[in-house]
Amino acid sequence: MNAKQASKRWIMGICGVATLAFASVADITPAFAHGERSQEPFLRMRTVNWYDTEWVGKSTPVNGVTELRGRFHLSEDWPRAVVKPHRTFLNVGSPSSVFVRLSSKMNGVPMFNSGPLDIGGDYEYVVKLKARLPGHHHIHPMLAIKEAGPVAGPGGWMDITGRYEDFTNPIKTLTGETFDSETMGGMTGIMWHLFWVVVACFWVGWFMIRPMYLVRARVLAAYGDEILLDPIDRKVGAAMLVFVLVVVVVGYLAAESKHPISVPLQAGETKVKPLPVKPNPLAIEVTHAEYDVPGRALRMNLHVTNNGTQPISIGEFTTAGIRFTNKVGAAKVDPNYPPELVASAGLTMDKEGAVMPGQTVDIKVESKDVLWEVQRLVDILHDPDQRFAGLFMSYTDGGERLINPVWAPVLPVFTRLGA
Amino acid sequence: MFRTDEIIKASKLPPEGVAMSRHIDHIYFIPILFITIVGTFHMHTALLCGDWDFWLDWKDRQWWPIVTPITTITFCAALQYYNWVNYRQPFGATITILALGFGKWIAVYTSWWWWSNYPPNFVMPATLLPSALVLDITLLLTRNWTLTAVVGAWMYAILFYPSNWPIFGYSHTPLVVDGSLLSWADYMGFMYVRTGTPEYIRMIEVGSLRTFGGHSTMISAFFSAFASSLVYVLWWQFGKFFCTSYFYFTDDRQRTVKVYDVFAYATLAHGDKAKIGGKA
Repeated sequence: MNAKQASKRWIMGICGVATLAFASVADITPAFAHGERSQEPFLRMRTVNWYDTEWVGKSTPVNGVTELRGRFHLSEDWPRAVVKPHRTFLNVGSPSSVFVRLSSKMNGVPMFNSGPLDIGGDYEYVVKLKARLPGHHHIHPMLAIKEAGPVAGPGGWMDITGRYEDFTNPIKTLTGETFDSETMGGMTGIMWHLFWVVVACFWVGWFMIRPMYLVRARVLAAYGDEILLDPIDRKVGAAMLVFVLVVVVVGYLAAESKHPISVPLQAGETKVKPLPVKPNPLAIEVTHAEYDVPGRALRMNLHVTNNGTQPISIGEFTTAGIRFTNKVGAAKVDPNYPPELVASAGLTMDKEGAVMPGQTVDIKVESKDVLWEVQRLVDILHDPDQRFAGLFMSYTDGGERLINPVWAPVLPVFTRLGA
Repeated sequence: MFRTDEIIKASKLPPEGVAMSRHIDHIYFIPILFITIVGTFHMHTALLCGDWDFWLDWKDRQWWPIVTPITTITFCAALQYYNWVNYRQPFGATITILALGFGKWIAVYTSWWWWSNYPPNFVMPATLLPSALVLDITLLLTRNWTLTAVVGAWMYAILFYPSNWPIFGYSHTPLVVDGSLLSWADYMGFMYVRTGTPEYIRMIEVGSLRTFGGHSTMISAFFSAFASSLVYVLWWQFGKFFCTSYFYFTDDRQRTVKVYDVFAYATLAHGDKAKIGGKA
């Protein structure tokens, strides 16, 4: 190697080391989301309509217990392209297991296994979480639908304080013992693995201490295997066979006596009935809908009838976890709801007043905000099924909330009206 | 104690050649063969029986003892062919499973614990070393790959569940949460949130094997043994296909013969080497 080649290699080596060193100190911004915006709008708007989501306890110490709770409505306008919710599982979208999920209930029913849900039904969920890994975490409720995939709900921030080293999670079994989920079975498993590694290394080592490859290959090619098959190998092999079988049997029997009571993994199905349907005196039908592309607005013509006895005011339109409110609705929004998911003045109507008892009225509604763009719902234009769905929240003068699911085809408008 | 001197003498290698062959043994065996198996076999296993070996709550009595032996006896058979037919070395299966375990434990502590924060007891791999040892010993004692396929491969699969019960038996301890009966493994799978792995994805306790009087494990183990036997034969032949060296030699009279003795290649004159084809 001449001096020129040597210097080239030195320079390349230094560049490599510098790259590695730079990579370790570079300010790389971590990702804080779970790709929920990449899901198609028709999937997010027309399957699971999330509402009342609550991230209880914005900050929880390690070992502290908190909750993620809320409700969802399964849209009647379920897309043809998405498998129906015959088997679903209430999940949590989080960056790894930052919380340990102690329990989850849907309409009061424990949901350890998956199960079918009814389209058009409303469900209330409560997930009890125990803080495990400190940090600032983005947490979503999530409904996983078999063969359709997960549908993420709105994401909110939850902080965990303290040190992971202090985390413990003792669980009492039916046999009266208490195990810690972080460590139970770990050392026993590692010891058994190590034991078998030692035995296996002995077996391989027994042949490694003698010429292994080239010498044997030459002898085999020249004379066959009579010389190579050493009688002592057969004796050691037979002894090893007996040893392995004895250890397996003894180990199995010892484990059986240590854990005499066992059950198979549970593969049942959870059946959950939807929440009872409350009488709703307000009827809302979408007669026309269009999406104004440059205006970032969904415009709807509503045919509204109040069959009740009290005036009712429309306050909110929500879809895909995003909330468009007017003054009436904004006053009802939980202040802890992620502000990045709320367009607090995003809902306007040509008739802002309440709908009187017995009155039928046609209202032009516009839900307008940059959120359509930011949340990538404008991609509805690229969907194979250009429809939308969502929930209207209305309020009686008595403060009762009425929820009306709506759905309709949506037409794109590519130029500003009146322009 | 060993026939080493006799074997070295028969090899007709000079002392320097024997010393060099030992260097080649060490360089080839550890950094090349072992690491290659770690990479390839680990990937193969992750793709074919991945979740059953990743998660505690996938290790059921029905599919886990079927899927794991069938998908892992593959490389064992091929590496047995290579080590036995070329060198009469009966550790092909053991070294394969040792390499797999090496890769698995690296993944447990780097991918699962350090990167994803799952506790090692939740993602502990199964052991196949007792099965692999028995497979190798069967080949050594019978010196017959057909008998190894029938006896050894069956033992490989049959031994899988009992040899792993000391590691995972505790995970079938029952507990009650919110009035529901669960096994410890079920609850571990529920507690440690996996955003992309909902409960229904588990392929456990599916099918009609459980109708055999509740003895699912026995039925699974015997089915696994039968299938492992077939897979062993197939992958032994893969080993043969990929590990057989030969070359074609065309002599001065333009007659072409297929030569399997690759050592003969080294003795050919330079001019003769120009006349060969094949994969010597």
